[in-house]
Amino acid sequence: MRKLFAILSLLVVASMALAACGGGTPAATDAPAPAATDAPAPTAVRENVLRINLGTYPDVIDPQKSSYVNEIAHLKLFYEGLTKFNDKLETVPGAAESWAYNADATQLTFTLRSGLLYSDGSPLNAKRFEYAIKRNIDPATAGEYASITDEILNAPEWRAQLSPTCAAVAAAQTAYDAAKAASDAAPTDTALAEATTAAADALSAATCTEEEIAAIAASVGVKATHADGADCVVNADTGNAYDDADCNTLVLSLSKPAPYFHTIMGIWVAFPAKEENIADGGDIWWTSPVYQVGNGPFVWSIGEPFVRGIFTPNANYWGDKPSYDLEYRYIVDSAVAFEAYKNGELDIIASAAEDLPTIQADPNLSAQHMQYAGACTTLIKFGLAAKYTAPDGTTYDSPFLDKKVREAFALAFDAEGWTKDVDGGLSAATWTWIPPGFPGYDANSPLHFDPEAGKAALAASSYGGPDALNALGLKLTFGDSPRNRQRSEWIVAKYKEYLGVDIALDPIDATTFTAITKDPATFPLFARQGWCADYPDQQNWLSVYWRSDTTFAQRQGYVNTEMDALLAQADVELDPAKRADLYAQAQQLLLADIPSAFGYNSLNHYLVQPWVKGIVTTPQDSDWPGSFSVATITIDTMMP
Amino acid sequence: MATYFIRRMFWLFPVLLTVSLVTFIIMRSAPGGPWDTDSDRRQVDASTRKSLDAYYGLDKPLWRQFTAYVFGDINSVTKKFSCGMICGNLGPSYRQRGRTVQSILFSAPPLQSFWQSRFGYSLRLGLIALSFAIVLGIPIGVVAALKQNTLWDYIGLFIATSGISVPSFVLAIFLIIIFGSWLHWIDIIVDNWNEVKYWLMPATVLGFGTMAYTARLTRSSMLEVMRQDYVRTARSKGLAERIVIIKHMLKNALIPVVTILGPALAGLVTGSFIIETMFSFPGMGRAYVQAIGQRDYSMIMGTTMVYALLVAVANLSVDLVYVFIDPRIRFEE
Repeated sequence: MRKLFAILSLLVVASMALAACGGGTPAATDAPAPAATDAPAPTAVRENVLRINLGTYPDVIDPQKSSYVNEIAHLKLFYEGLTKFNDKLETVPGAAESWAYNADATQLTFTLRSGLLYSDGSPLNAKRFEYAIKRNIDPATAGEYASITDEILNAPEWRAQLSPTCAAVAAAQTAYDAAKAASDAAPTDTALAEATTAAADALSAATCTEEEIAAIAASVGVKATHADGADCVVNADTGNAYDDADCNTLVLSLSKPAPYFHTIMGIWVAFPAKEENIADGGDIWWTSPVYQVGNGPFVWSIGEPFVRGIFTPNANYWGDKPSYDLEYRYIVDSAVAFEAYKNGELDIIASAAEDLPTIQADPNLSAQHMQYAGACTTLIKFGLAAKYTAPDGTTYDSPFLDKKVREAFALAFDAEGWTKDVDGGLSAATWTWIPPGFPGYDANSPLHFDPEAGKAALAASSYGGPDALNALGLKLTFGDSPRNRQRSEWIVAKYKEYLGVDIALDPIDATTFTAITKDPATFPLFARQGWCADYPDQQNWLSVYWRSDTTFAQRQGYVNTEMDALLAQADVELDPAKRADLYAQAQQLLLADIPSAFGYNSLNHYLVQPWVKGIVTTPQDSDWPGSFSVATITIDTMMP
Repeated sequence: MATYFIRRMFWLFPVLLTVSLVTFIIMRSAPGGPWDTDSDRRQVDASTRKSLDAYYGLDKPLWRQFTAYVFGDINSVTKKFSCGMICGNLGPSYRQRGRTVQSILFSAPPLQSFWQSRFGYSLRLGLIALSFAIVLGIPIGVVAALKQNTLWDYIGLFIATSGISVPSFVLAIFLIIIFGSWLHWIDIIVDNWNEVKYWLMPATVLGFGTMAYTARLTRSSMLEVMRQDYVRTARSKGLAERIVIIKHMLKNALIPVVTILGPALAGLVTGSFIIETMFSFPGMGRAYVQAIGQRDYSMIMGTTMVYALLVAVANLSVDLVYVFIDPRIRFEE
């Protein structure tokens, strides 16, 4: 028994030793521990630190490779673009003090603030932004948001490493044009048709030489200059122009008029990460705060992957500096985060749907609950292009090709009921596309919840009522999860109640669902999908999503040539008022055409401790409230 | 024994190859890919997708992708040969751009030891959880068997049944609420995983199920052994009860327990998604599940192979341990 006891004791001691393994090493060694910005008064009851639960730890924290909210939430703390957004989501000067378009909006010139510095005290000039923007376009970077700067001259060609001007491509194009012309002249000639196919294959296989690609890269429309247009001066020692203080002008040449492009220059893809740090750090440079030297309001001081990140105010930031340190935590489980918040260990957490009843029932928590409009609109999109299969095995075209059917299903969608019954108050009903708070929001809509009108529209359709539709065996396909099942059951039950239409539930694996919605041939009859803004401009909501040549419209099979023409006009219109009017008209055309049942806007729900003051929110703050106005926030360190 | 050991070690290769092939087929049969983003946000454009596919070798036929992963291939962008899994290269992560799977799993942050790597954290937690399971599970099982149908037995059975039937996420949140929110004995938010106190709760929750299973198995084995003739003989020849229990009963009763402890060890040290999520633990279990959702193919393959290797080694260890606890077992030469 003594031996057994000894073994068991050994196991216990070994366990403790294992837990403490490496205990002598510091928890994080990337940078020295931050000093509190404001020395707490003697009676302070808490540290001057804003502790935020961000949830998932980012996959990649690289301005030109990141794309997710939690990744951008890091980047925008320690970097800043040429422009930024204010609390009304207007584009305002960031690192650039001003910008101007030429007469036809094909050239955009930024003038940087004088004396800009990185957090390490090194100068920040226009050449840094030139590098950042070019790095975003560079095919070697292959960032997921690379295409967002495609308006820049030769950017798509460089990314694709393909241009019609390349010799082989031009020759293949000429050959294809000739073959096609011949084939078109003699449509019954199979030999000519085969030759055209071969020429098309040759054209798609044609490539540019390395020299031609280098020439395309060199001709990309991004150039830093002096104010008088002179080239920035390269330092003979460093081999770059990053210390040329007069290099304060950035000229972007655009392939088409793009009067919204200054707004795009405010998002993370144009953040000026330092070239030498990226080179020194190698492929994993972004993992270390040592290399993440930026120009934003904070400095990334400590990074402990999956545990915490600590950010301290950047003394070299040009604007208002935050008065506190900021700490990110990465707690994925919302129940644990909620307990930690109630325990006073976190200052800001997202409130989960399951916690809302508890929050609303508790007077303290409900007073700390912050709710504001979000940046997403979700719809019940109607499949228009795919073929569907009836129970008897026959295939049929989408019934939603009939506008009256679309009208019936849109009018019978009880958006208010959805937000209450299904979303439990986590969303807000909408009958329009652009959400509140964004430029272009227009509450006027020809659509509303009217089941009787919906029934009448169905009766007036080519189907004459629900029976003919029921014979088709309509299915509601969705990514299976308990939550989605509940949502789908609600939709099916309501359409049965209001229209008398039978819709079968078709649950499939969530990733499979996403995959089938990306192929026009398999796009389901109903798809609950939407859009979250990249940047606050109508172009991002309408032209990027609904124009017939966009990925999203093509997947659904949606074409509206009248709206396309309006959007094409609006996208190049220089007069802001006219431009806004054109987008407003386009949005009304979209609503009138009913490509979807308009559903709901996201709402942001957070719990904020009472000692956190001065939070100003925008709908784009989907990472945490106040993330666009960090300088207005203060921590009351005296409040118990 | 040496021959047996070497033979078993060689058998690891076909086992791992089969596991990698099956994993690859299942993984690639699932729709979607690493560049497929949510449908409510900007999609990765065709040119970028093509560049990424070329860089990661996803533009090659599937069979070649598999052989490239296992044996190696020439990268179509860098034009350099990169040896595959057989050289210990688990490939580049598709989502954590620039990082390799082995660095994600086995490399600690700068200036920190291996124990601060994701695998190191999971390994430590798993070993502590297993120690907890053994230290409590075996005595509970022994006492319950020796005191069959008494209050001690019922308490032991209650603990064992609770451990098996209560899901770990329920137990975790209960402990967090009791010890974090009510008693304030520990912080819910862990500042420093180098402090022993923070390991107690996750290790307890992780090891609770194994402890319960161990206790039940020990109890039933002990009850079976207690009725054997050799136990009666031992008692009749006047041996002390302590000797009878430890040398004649426990040693034989532990054989089935040891059988389950091998795979249990592999399961515990490779991390638990739920425990790591609940306690924001920086281990490898969370990375594994996240990789599946993101279709991070090399991360899925790499983590599965690590898991497979651990299970195979744990089973081999169990087979080797048998000979020490049961003299009737001999290795075939």
